[in-house]
Amino acid sequence: MSAAAPSVRGGAGVRAEWWAPALAGLLAVLLAAASAEIVIDGAAGHSALIPKSPPIAGWLGGIGERLGYRVFLIAVLVSVLAYAGLLALARRARASTISTRAALALIVVLHVIVFVGPILLSTDVFSYIAYARMGVEHGLNPYLHGPSSIASDPVYVFVGHDWRDVATAYGPFYTLLSYPLALLGVVGAVWGMKVLALAASLGTLALTWRCARTRGLDPLWAVLVIGLNPLYVIYGLGGAHNDLIMLLAMMGAVALTLARGGREHEVASAGREAAGAAVVVAGALVKATVAVLLPFMIVSRRRLAPILGALAALAAGAAIGYLAFGIHGIDVVAALNRDAAFVSTDSFATEIAHLFGKPGVFPVDHDLLKAGLVIIVVHLLWRTWRGYDWVAASGWALLAISVTSTWLLAWYILWPLPLAVVTRDRRLLVATLAIQALFIAHQCAPLLAPVA
Amino acid sequence: MSTPSGQLGGSFGRRLPAWARPREQELPGAGRTRLTETTLLLLVGLVLAIATVNDVVRQVHVNHRLIADLRSWRQYTGHAYKNLSVEQDFYGHTTRDIVCGNVAPGAPKERTQLCLVLSGPVVAGRRAARGGFYLPAKVEDILRYRYACYGSASSAGLCPR
Repeated sequence: MSAAAPSVRGGAGVRAEWWAPALAGLLAVLLAAASAEIVIDGAAGHSALIPKSPPIAGWLGGIGERLGYRVFLIAVLVSVLAYAGLLALARRARASTISTRAALALIVVLHVIVFVGPILLSTDVFSYIAYARMGVEHGLNPYLHGPSSIASDPVYVFVGHDWRDVATAYGPFYTLLSYPLALLGVVGAVWGMKVLALAASLGTLALTWRCARTRGLDPLWAVLVIGLNPLYVIYGLGGAHNDLIMLLAMMGAVALTLARGGREHEVASAGREAAGAAVVVAGALVKATVAVLLPFMIVSRRRLAPILGALAALAAGAAIGYLAFGIHGIDVVAALNRDAAFVSTDSFATEIAHLFGKPGVFPVDHDLLKAGLVIIVVHLLWRTWRGYDWVAASGWALLAISVTSTWLLAWYILWPLPLAVVTRDRRLLVATLAIQALFIAHQCAPLLAPVA
Repeated sequence: MSTPSGQLGGSFGRRLPAWARPREQELPGAGRTRLTETTLLLLVGLVLAIATVNDVVRQVHVNHRLIADLRSWRQYTGHAYKNLSVEQDFYGHTTRDIVCGNVAPGAPKERTQLCLVLSGPVVAGRRAARGGFYLPAKVEDILRYRYACYGSASSAGLCPR
């Protein structure tokens, strides 16, 4: 009996899995086809989903039709279902179902499809270019002026209306990084931004692989969760968002704090921990949000190295920022306060306000949300002090920031994803994917309305 | 399980008192904390899911209504214009919408505008116009510009006295 049982299970397993590689192949084709549909239709011309843009994907223009909400949402839903199916298959029996080479090839294919297409779903990249051109071509400080100060510049017409009078909210490191791209002209700068986003995404995936392997987790599963994620690929990479550069810095910092080739609880050298903290600060000088990792890293390690590394990087970054942009270049608090007052219709705060019969978010709601966020962060710090994984705690903090933010955009709920796949607390990954699923569900109202 | 690690913290960490030294694993009691956290997470997830579904349903109803509003304006006026403006009653929480469009062909708001106050349920893809007013060309829909009010626009105080 005891000898027969494994063979029965093995036989059933073999019988049950003959279809799995075929299904995985089908889901991979669906995922690639859905992304290609969005890109090809997006290249066809003006659409509410495709920002006005210089002609960077004209060679795709004659193939598709103008991208409408219905087609876009159906493609996104197909992507989500294919993504979920592939993750389930990869989790179930990866070795016999999905080869490492095929999985990585699919990630590369998705990246290439989105890379060659138009800018998707956001005008942010044109704001990045406008700020760079303000500094390089017009001698203006992007921390003091909005793009409206260069209304005659060719990039101005592509900047979103809501952002034309808004000075940059990004860190000085990112602004300086973007300056060389301003010399390439508008089209060249858009391609430069796309290359930056692509490189940052691939770098993030490589670092995630390394962190997962160091921590004894399945590295292929980890990069599949990120690299096939529809929000990551379509919204994040498709919009060439600088959040991807922030994620690269975040995972670089985590990789540095993990002992080289060591086990999860082995501690990296003081130098590597100092470098890890410095990289967090460098990431925060791209986009301030990633700074939330620092207190968890310090509380977890309780050694001087990360504190000294962070202070050194902060001093260097502040000096460079001050020299390049003056005091406004390092005043991240003002930028954060300004952005915290924005309200988007997709934020959970707005949804909850509607649930309780309010027309929207009021100032008192902002205060309540901030108080809630502080309580969550303090709780996570207390947990980290008692030995909880600081990487998971940082992921929870990033998730809490996005959920409590009144200005929620799709690429904000990507922040905790790379951390979620390199921790053993599976609740973080489940919660992050659940929040992403709710965000996508909230987009689907046009699918349910009658055609006008 | 709760023994402070000798590896973590470096020389600085080793000089800390025992209770403050970094730990490889969580202190006892983490299981209970985890249970409480998971329960709270599930409750928060439930609230967010309900709020999301509620908002999707609300959006679908609003979209349905707005499509009916546009169709109604076109049928009442006999003009098949695309560029119509719709204003919802956000503050009163009613389903009363005001739809405005040019009375003659032209760019949006470049001609005198006829605004209809639409309310009630969607019947056969349309809603009833129970009142209305006019706006001069090249102005936004602000109370002081409204004139020739009739029906519910007058009785609801939507026009200047």
